[in-house]
Amino acid sequence: MSSISGTNKSSRWSAVRKEIGRAGGALLISLIVTFVIVLLTSKDPLGAFEQLLTQLPQKTRTFGYWIDDVAKLTITGLAFSLVFQARQFSMGVQGQVYIGALAATYVALSPLGASWAGIPLGIAAAMLAGAVYGFLPGIAKAKLGANEIVSSLMLNYVAIELCNFLVRTNLPKPQAGVLTTNDFPDSAVFPMLVDKTRIDLGLILAIVAVLVVWFAVYRTSWGLKLRLVGHNARFAEYSGIKSTFIMVSAMTASGALGGLLGSMFVQGQTYGKLTVLFEGNLAFEGILVAIVARSRPLAVPIVALFYGYLRQGAQLMNIRTDVPAEVIGVVTAIIILLVSSSYSLAFLKRLFRRGVATAPTPAAAAGAAK
Amino acid sequence: MALLEAIGISKTYPGGVVANDGVNLVVESGEVHAVVGENGAGKSTLMKILFGIEQPNAGALMLDGKPVRFANPREAIEAGIGMVFQHFSLVPSFSVYENVVLGSEPRSGIRFERHKAIAEVKAISDRFRLSVDPMPAVMTLPVGQQQRVEILKALYRNARILILDEPTAVLAPQEVQELFVAIRSLVAQGKTVIFIAHKLPEVLEISDTITVMRQGKTVGQVKAKEVTEKSLAAMMVGREVTLRVERKATDQSQRVAEIEGLRVVNARGTEVVAGLDLNVHAGEVVGLVGVEGNGQAETLEAVAGLRAIAAGTIRIADKDATAMSVLDRRALGLASIPEDRIARGLATGATVAENLVATRLNETRYVRNGLLDLKAIKANALQLIERFSIRVGGPASTVDTLSGGNMQKVVVARELAEQPKLLLVNQPTRGVDLGATQFIWRTITDARDAGAAVLLSSADLGELLALSDRLLVLYRGRIVAAFVNTPDLTPETLGTYMLGLSTQTADEMKAALR
Repeated sequence: MSSISGTNKSSRWSAVRKEIGRAGGALLISLIVTFVIVLLTSKDPLGAFEQLLTQLPQKTRTFGYWIDDVAKLTITGLAFSLVFQARQFSMGVQGQVYIGALAATYVALSPLGASWAGIPLGIAAAMLAGAVYGFLPGIAKAKLGANEIVSSLMLNYVAIELCNFLVRTNLPKPQAGVLTTNDFPDSAVFPMLVDKTRIDLGLILAIVAVLVVWFAVYRTSWGLKLRLVGHNARFAEYSGIKSTFIMVSAMTASGALGGLLGSMFVQGQTYGKLTVLFEGNLAFEGILVAIVARSRPLAVPIVALFYGYLRQGAQLMNIRTDVPAEVIGVVTAIIILLVSSSYSLAFLKRLFRRGVATAPTPAAAAGAAK
Repeated sequence: MALLEAIGISKTYPGGVVANDGVNLVVESGEVHAVVGENGAGKSTLMKILFGIEQPNAGALMLDGKPVRFANPREAIEAGIGMVFQHFSLVPSFSVYENVVLGSEPRSGIRFERHKAIAEVKAISDRFRLSVDPMPAVMTLPVGQQQRVEILKALYRNARILILDEPTAVLAPQEVQELFVAIRSLVAQGKTVIFIAHKLPEVLEISDTITVMRQGKTVGQVKAKEVTEKSLAAMMVGREVTLRVERKATDQSQRVAEIEGLRVVNARGTEVVAGLDLNVHAGEVVGLVGVEGNGQAETLEAVAGLRAIAAGTIRIADKDATAMSVLDRRALGLASIPEDRIARGLATGATVAENLVATRLNETRYVRNGLLDLKAIKANALQLIERFSIRVGGPASTVDTLSGGNMQKVVVARELAEQPKLLLVNQPTRGVDLGATQFIWRTITDARDAGAAVLLSSADLGELLALSDRLLVLYRGRIVAAFVNTPDLTPETLGTYMLGLSTQTADEMKAALR
């Protein structure tokens, strides 16, 4: 018995190693391609790459940008991982972020926000609102057969524009015409963890979320059912698992994470207030994080660490050199392409070898013809 | 002189798997030559070599006495060899004639001559008695007809030798008979057929010569007339195989399942089960006989709670289960081995241990307060792997790493981990090799002997006759005949009722409908 579990463990580790190799290989290839592009377009390609890859940890301030980004990418990566594990392709995290942020804002700007309850209540309200917003496409799919991709994407626009509308009209702001609300009272803003950085309570929330999601997926019966539905919904039905319940609950739980991210944005050190379009398309980056992490909760923060580095490094490059941050889109695209395809290191080796092997054959054929 | 000869063919795959090891095959012109062997015996590899898909590491091919080498299928086709794969390569949305001519269309200039194509396809199908309407889209045809399109494709390309890879695996019994008629007419007109199979009765019926393969080697070549099913099976497996299972006398007085007036309407609004009354008693196997699609699968799904019913009642263990959920029915002692293990019976991406508890997530043994008891789940898996001798790396291996036979064992192990009261079985041994078939038959019979009521459906009449106590023939969702299984009940008798050619009267059925 012990030998069986032993071989399993070693095979599991070799699988993990293989995945890391794949992801690392994809990163390397994409960076090489990016470098070639930068080489062709920039006046100072080495400088640009230096900014992209080495400058971030050099100052506490920029280091803070990175870690803050990692925390947020982790949450959105987890939210996507949850629905992907159940094989639901809900794209609604962005909408949940806006709805969650709105809920947190209403709490923070109410009298409650000025009390000790500002932070916990803000988080709770955001998660609840996000959960409701995640539940909507789920129930629409279960009851009406509405495609969750379409409905969740549409709900994203609803949330963004609702937020836009409320900031302009209903919410209190410092002066007319400004597209932000009043600053939240200090009691409603996440405390800084490291001085003079954006690193705040959000980092702790992200770590807790990783553990909670991992536990829920791999240690609870709900999580096993979720994975079985994801693997084969017809089998789940045959086993007596209520797959619609699992599906809707996964989308709801993912929505709560999306809402949490909304609260982390507006109650965090970065803003401390609600402003229109605050999320800068970070929510959607969770798709990349989840895909590269293969929807494994424990892999999500690791992927977020790398990806956050590239994201913020690209910002530095953008500001300090002639290479725009958009170049990082090339990295993202190549990584997704490689990781989601059946690419493997062995495949690359084979491809390379075949290229070498076929090269001399025309000569050989010519020789044979003689 | 032999038409096609393979001499000392060896093939080792890059992974080091020796698929063929000095294989010899001699095919005479105008014969039906069967190649039989268990899964993994190397039949498919040999055929791929004959058809130019794989290249042998050693050995030679002789066609008409001259050595040949096929670098790819195109060269094999030009030499007059055609192959029909188990999984068809047709364009579903294209019509029959378009599929047949695709790749070598009759044309004038750049214009595709539709009328000529249709006429040619018609001519071939008439000549070889492979009647298919050339006009409809392939996806609208039943599997048997699609197979004919594949055969027509090869014939259109002037194949002299036709390789059929497990052609009967996807066919209903009467379609098999139609295929055999077509094969005989092909042979009568000078074609040669190589027939890959592992259902022995069919092999004996259709072939003239049989080559037996085992573990990548040819065991021997025999004349079909000179062997029996038993001796052939022994050659294939390398030891004596008893395909009969001994059944104990059991007490069959207690009714476990009572189905009354069951009607099922499918998604297209067709009535597929039309007022079915049947009972299954403890300690008996009731076999549902019928050409596929006559309501057997739907009946089993309705009893399992996987399909909504239009009318009728289902009672399990004296309780009305008509409106019960799957889990409630399982709690009454229902177990079910579904028709398609990969589509329905397993989550292939999940681990063996997870698959083995998937139906028991409501039990406190494995789940307490919503938390999984991983130790108990693993212990359960280890115990079942041992008891059902599932060949697997361990409980944490994913199911997709297993062979077909072992996957089916995972399903069987889960369903029969505990003695069920009512066991539903659909196609238990489809695509499973002889060794595993024997084991699965034994396991089902053991469940019966221990008092389970078993409702069995299978496309394999041999299996139904081997396992059942009573046999009910279904035609268009109705019982048209009922038999108590006796040694003199033959597949031919069942066949006439299966095709709806005759129906028993209520009196005739009475004895076997209790």
